[in-house]
Formats: sequence, structure tokens, C-alpha cells
Amino acid sequence: MALTEDDVRRIATYTRIDLTPEQLSQMTIDLNEIIESLDAIGKYDLEGVEPTFHPIGGLVNVMREDEPHPGFTQKVALSNAGAVQDGAFLIPTILGGGDAS
Amino acid sequence: MTAIMDMDVAAITSGFAAGDFSATEIADAAFEAIEAADPQVKAFLEYTPEQAYAKANALDAARAAGGVLPPLAAVPVAFKDNMNMLGTHTTCASHMLENYVSPYQATCVSKMIDAGGIPLGKLNMDEFAFGSSTETSAFGYTYNPWDLERVPGGSSGGSAAAVASGMATLTLGSDTGGSIRQPACFCGVVGMKPSYGMVSRYGVVAFGSSLDQVGPFGRSVADVAAAMNALVGHDTLDCTSQDCKVDFLANLDQGVKGMRIGIVPGMTFADGCTPETLAAMHDAVAKLEGLGAQLVDVELPHMDAAMSAYYILGPCEAFSNLSRFDSVRYGHRTPGCHELGQQYEKSRSEGFGQEAKRRIMLGSYLLSAGVYDKYYYPAQQVRTLITRDYREAFERADVIVMPSSPRTAFKFGEISDPVSMHLSDMFTISVNIAGNGSLSMPVGLGRDSGLPVGFQIIGPQFQDEKILRVAAALESCCDFRGRVAPAFAKGGEA
Repeated sequence: MALTEDDVRRIATYTRIDLTPEQLSQMTIDLNEIIESLDAIGKYDLEGVEPTFHPIGGLVNVMREDEPHPGFTQKVALSNAGAVQDGAFLIPTILGGGDAS
Repeated sequence: MTAIMDMDVAAITSGFAAGDFSATEIADAAFEAIEAADPQVKAFLEYTPEQAYAKANALDAARAAGGVLPPLAAVPVAFKDNMNMLGTHTTCASHMLENYVSPYQATCVSKMIDAGGIPLGKLNMDEFAFGSSTETSAFGYTYNPWDLERVPGGSSGGSAAAVASGMATLTLGSDTGGSIRQPACFCGVVGMKPSYGMVSRYGVVAFGSSLDQVGPFGRSVADVAAAMNALVGHDTLDCTSQDCKVDFLANLDQGVKGMRIGIVPGMTFADGCTPETLAAMHDAVAKLEGLGAQLVDVELPHMDAAMSAYYILGPCEAFSNLSRFDSVRYGHRTPGCHELGQQYEKSRSEGFGQEAKRRIMLGSYLLSAGVYDKYYYPAQQVRTLITRDYREAFERADVIVMPSSPRTAFKFGEISDPVSMHLSDMFTISVNIAGNGSLSMPVGLGRDSGLPVGFQIIGPQFQDEKILRVAAALESCCDFRGRVAPAFAKGGEA
């Protein structure tokens, strides 16, 4: 079943991407074309075939002694932030209604 | 004497060690070559002369002090712009990261510099590595040094073009579905995607975490082997990193006598493969047979499924990885928003290009409830089949060979729809799905196009030395070898 523009709008909202009406309609065409090309995945006999989620099996967590290690300073950690205040990342209000940042 | 920037790794390291030229003179030659070629090729997004000359001075001082020189001493190197290099912009060719300055360094970058490489700068790519032509870069095209009207391939197009135009001796790229091998093919150089896990990805901006691998470009098999020696090894900062240190130069000249070269019979008639590509492929296979290798037929029955599986798994993993770009900690931020959700949406819409948005949204859809079972889960089952196909094929063959790309470099704009663009990766993708190592090398100029044709050699997982050994043997009897493209070769006195 092909995606409608409403479906694509919902995906855009979920992925936090703002599309203009023209972009929405082009994206709907593009996604449907790509998804149609992926339908081939359904033609293989996969009964009883275990999935492989990763090319290396048996990955283990890398542990080390709990000893202090050098890391980013506060200054470095904030150096790429678009807005900073009092040594912290600055964001607009989460629920809306505040000042613009 | 050959011009420094036309030399291979061995000539540069031995010439530097012998005092024929200093590291500072090598850096001078590199930036002169860049000044001459990059206005046309546009491979670089940033030059790093400060870091280059600091490294060159340190190397000159080390040589003067008489110490042991590192294996890549004074070799000019450069990095794909998805690799963090301390103090440089790491943009992934995206407006999203246009102003991002790396506060840390990728392991692969450190390894190349620690091994003696002189870092020249950062290289153009498809935005976040989403593409096969470098046309999706937010900062403009890179041009193929063999024909400036054509694409260099992608996504590591800048990395291939820099080596092919003699602006760098070694470069690094990353390969998620062919992004090292296809541009190497288009630009007539050698490019290697090591087995998944051989090279640390720490500090490389992630695209498809179960597929991505870092690897080198060079103009000869020996140059690529020398870079592999510097790159491989265990890194505690990447949990997929394996401890499989081998000397890739040690058995490079062992030849292929008695080795079994696997050919997939059906594949040579694959749709869309140009006659000149097939002719070059047959010629290369005949040369290997002439060198004493045994040709064996192998089957990879699920090769066609790899395309669908890749274009499901890649976007799903990209969707997940690109969710980190939230405009708060780093990355493009639209000012003046009154609410955090609005800032996310505006910033991501302005920061990401068209192809990135497409893949993020596709990945999100494919992972959604109900759809997951139709696409994502079967794709992971198909991965089991493809991995099994390779394992069984490698019981009969030491390596498997096939074209790197169905055709030589295409013109800008020639392929515009996403589905057709995806087909240019038809021979490379299954290797990433299974996690094997693979290399593309030039074997000649196409009889019709006059452009370099690439030949791909695939090895069993973690036996990448076999690939390089076969490649070195083939290179030794090819009339055509990786070289600086004719329009950019310096020639003459250094």
C-alpha cells in the first residue's frame, strides 16, 4: 500500500523534519518509489532463517578499572553548542510560551 | 627524479630517510600540487597547513636526531570529512555540521599521523556519506581528475580524487556499501574496504553502524598495504574493533600460484554491466590464470537480495544515528525559536540536505510497528543467507573477483533518480552486509570510454592479506597501474 501525504507528514513530525507542502509531495513520491524497489525482500524463502543483526557475533562490553580518566573540560564540551548560559547548554522552553533563545 | 607528489610511499619514505628531501620540502610540494589542482578538482573542504608543517618540522627534527623513523614518515595524507581531526572542521559535507570543530580525534586519523603521515586536510564527500557520486555534498561537487565533466564516485569522492590528482599520496575514506571501492574505481586508484572490525571507527561520524568501515586509498597496492599496516589493530574505544594485527606488506610478493580465484558465472552477464567492464574483467581474470592461479566457479545466489537488504538496513541505521543531531550540543541551530520542538524541526530541516532527509524518513518508516516485520526483520534474515553464501563460496575459493562497478565514471546529473543511483553499488554492497574485506584496483582503461575500469577482489573475513597478495600479483602484470591522472601528473624534476 502506497504512502499518502498524511503518512509522510506523520513520519516528518516523528523525525523532527519540517517539510514545505512542495517538499512533502516530492518526498511522498520519492519514498514510494524507493519502498516499491524494496518489496523484493519479500520474495525469498526465509522460513526458519535466523536473523543476523551484526557481522561480528559475540561482541562483549569493554570494561576497565573504575579509575579517573581525563575527559572533556566543561569549556570544550560546550565549545560547539549554539547557545550557552552559565556553563550549560541553553535551550528554549520545552512546553513553549517562553522567550526565544 | 620523479616529482615528489607523483611518488609512491616507498619512494617518499626512503627518499626522506636518505636525505634526498626534507619533510618540509614534501609539505611544500604537496601544497603546491594542491594549489595547482584543487581549483579544478575541488577535493578538499579544508586545508591544514599548520598541522602539516608542525608534523613536517617534527619529522625533520627526528631525522636530524638520528632516531628510528616511523613507517609512513613524511607521506602526505588527507582524511574524509566525516573523520574527526582535532581542531579542524568535521562537516560530513553537511550544513548541519558546517561550524562544528572537532574537540577530539578519530583513532584512524591519529594512527596515520602517528605513523608519520603529514596531514594536508579534509576531503569532500556525499552528505553524511549518503550517495555514490559526491553530488550530494552541501559544499559543491568534486570533479573526476580523469575527466572533469564526470563525477569522482562516492561517497568518498574527495578521497579518491585527491590521490588520483597527485594532491595526496594516501587518503582515508569510509565504506558502508561501496563508498571506498566505487570512487577508487571511477578515479583509477586502489581503494580498500577492510573486513568489518579491522579498523577502529572511533571518531568517525556513524552512518550505518553494522556496515561502516574505514579504509585507505593509494595509487598502488603496496601503498594501500602500507596504510593498512598503520591502520589495523584493536582499539578499546570501538567495541567492534578486533585484534588482528598482520603485516600486510610481508607476503605481498608471494604471487598467486596455486591460489583459487572464485568467479561467479551468472554475475558477468549482470544487467547494466557495460561491455568494456566485462572485457576488462575477463582480461584481468586471464592474467591471474596466467600467473598460475586456479579459476573456480562459485555461487552467490542471494547477491540480488543484498541490494534490497542494504537499502533497508542502511536507512534504518542512519535514521538512528542521525537522531543525535538535535541542535543543542553541536550542529546547526536555528535561532529565535520559542519552543524546543520547534528548534529541533527548524534546525534539522535547514541543516540536512534532501538525501539525508529521505534516508532518515525512510529508516523511520521501515522501523515502524507493522512495517518492521515486512522489511527490517527479513533484511536481517537475508543477511544470514548472504553471509552463508560467502562462507560456502570461500570453502572453494581463496578470493572472489568481480567488477567494482557496472560502469566507468558517469557525468554530473546523468543519474538523477535515487533507485538508478543505487544500482551503481550493485557489486559492492553484499560485501558490507557480510562484513568481508574487499579491494578495488584499476586494471585498464575502458575500450569505449577511455576511463579507468575497476576490478574487485573480495576475501574471507579477517583474511585481508590474501586480497592484497592477489592484487599485488595482478598489478605486477597489468600494463595500466594506479597513477596520477594524465592532466595532473607533474613528471620531470622534483
